[in-house]
Amino acid sequence: MKGMSTIVKTIANIGFPIITIYGLYVIAHGHLTPGGGFQGGAIVASGLALLAVAHGTSWVESKVKEHDLSMLESLGALGFIGLAFLGLLMGGAFFSNFLVDTSMLFGAIPVDGAANINTGGTLPLMNFAVGLKVIAGLFAIVLVMAIATNKEED
Amino acid sequence: MILLDAIHIILPLLMIVSALIAVYLKDLVAATIALASMSLLLSLEFYILQAPDVAIAEAGVGAALTTAILILAIKATKRTEEEEE
Amino acid sequence: MNQRNILAAAFLTIVAVFLMFSALFMHPFGEPTSQAMDQYIIDNTVGETGANNGVTSVVFDYRGFDTLGEATVLFTAVASVVMLFRRLKK
Repeated sequence: MKGMSTIVKTIANIGFPIITIYGLYVIAHGHLTPGGGFQGGAIVASGLALLAVAHGTSWVESKVKEHDLSMLESLGALGFIGLAFLGLLMGGAFFSNFLVDTSMLFGAIPVDGAANINTGGTLPLMNFAVGLKVIAGLFAIVLVMAIATNKEED
Repeated sequence: MILLDAIHIILPLLMIVSALIAVYLKDLVAATIALASMSLLLSLEFYILQAPDVAIAEAGVGAALTTAILILAIKATKRTEEEEE
Repeated sequence: MNQRNILAAAFLTIVAVFLMFSALFMHPFGEPTSQAMDQYIIDNTVGETGANNGVTSVVFDYRGFDTLGEATVLFTAVASVVMLFRRLKK
């Protein structure tokens, strides 16, 4: 599949960083504002899909391989399950929030019910893991379908 | 409060209208855009029902990713739907 | 063909009556049946998990198994799509 016109490419180039920054913000603030790993990952993946549709398949195929995306997705899933098992190991229960109320990263307790970016225990880490998984997974679906239809055409 | 009730009635009606447009259009790209607008209206309805998490997920997956996948599929096939018989 | 239409009309009528009855006896909007767990989560979310967003704390902490199932569903979908279309590419 060839790319679209110059107008579409320019608009996609302008819009892609804004969409990506917004999606990463939704992932990073998952424990404070509405959203979370899945929602932010879907936003970032839709920005990547916009780039893939605008610039054409062969351009994207030269930048990123679908094998790497599968590996990133497995890494996200392993991080998620690993955090759950770490809860079993250190907190006594599967999915236990062992990081809260400690002096480690993300371990602070909220003062007067107002949480900030450093609170939440394992929640931000799980958000990052699930966000990585969803970005890689959804973009892998779009990319693989684009490559398959491209090869079928010629 | 009467305005909110009116919006709760108007938004599903608009969703039904855009879904019918998506069924009746012969141009498949236009039908895809109608489907995306239905998804966006659904996410607006979720937001009014005070479920912003579901609204963000619906807007990201329903309005953006589904449209991208459908447009990729349409570019690999034909753009217009064929008349039956 | 005619007989089949009559059969379909009867079946659709039964389904419509069923749906209308369930719509008539629907639960009032905004009043869940059991809300024993709601108040506990609303009260203790900030203290126990340190998150302001209650939905995230439920999804990733109180009901983590649901998210594990969702992640499994996504992983299976991605794996099957990649496997199917990689075969198509060659």
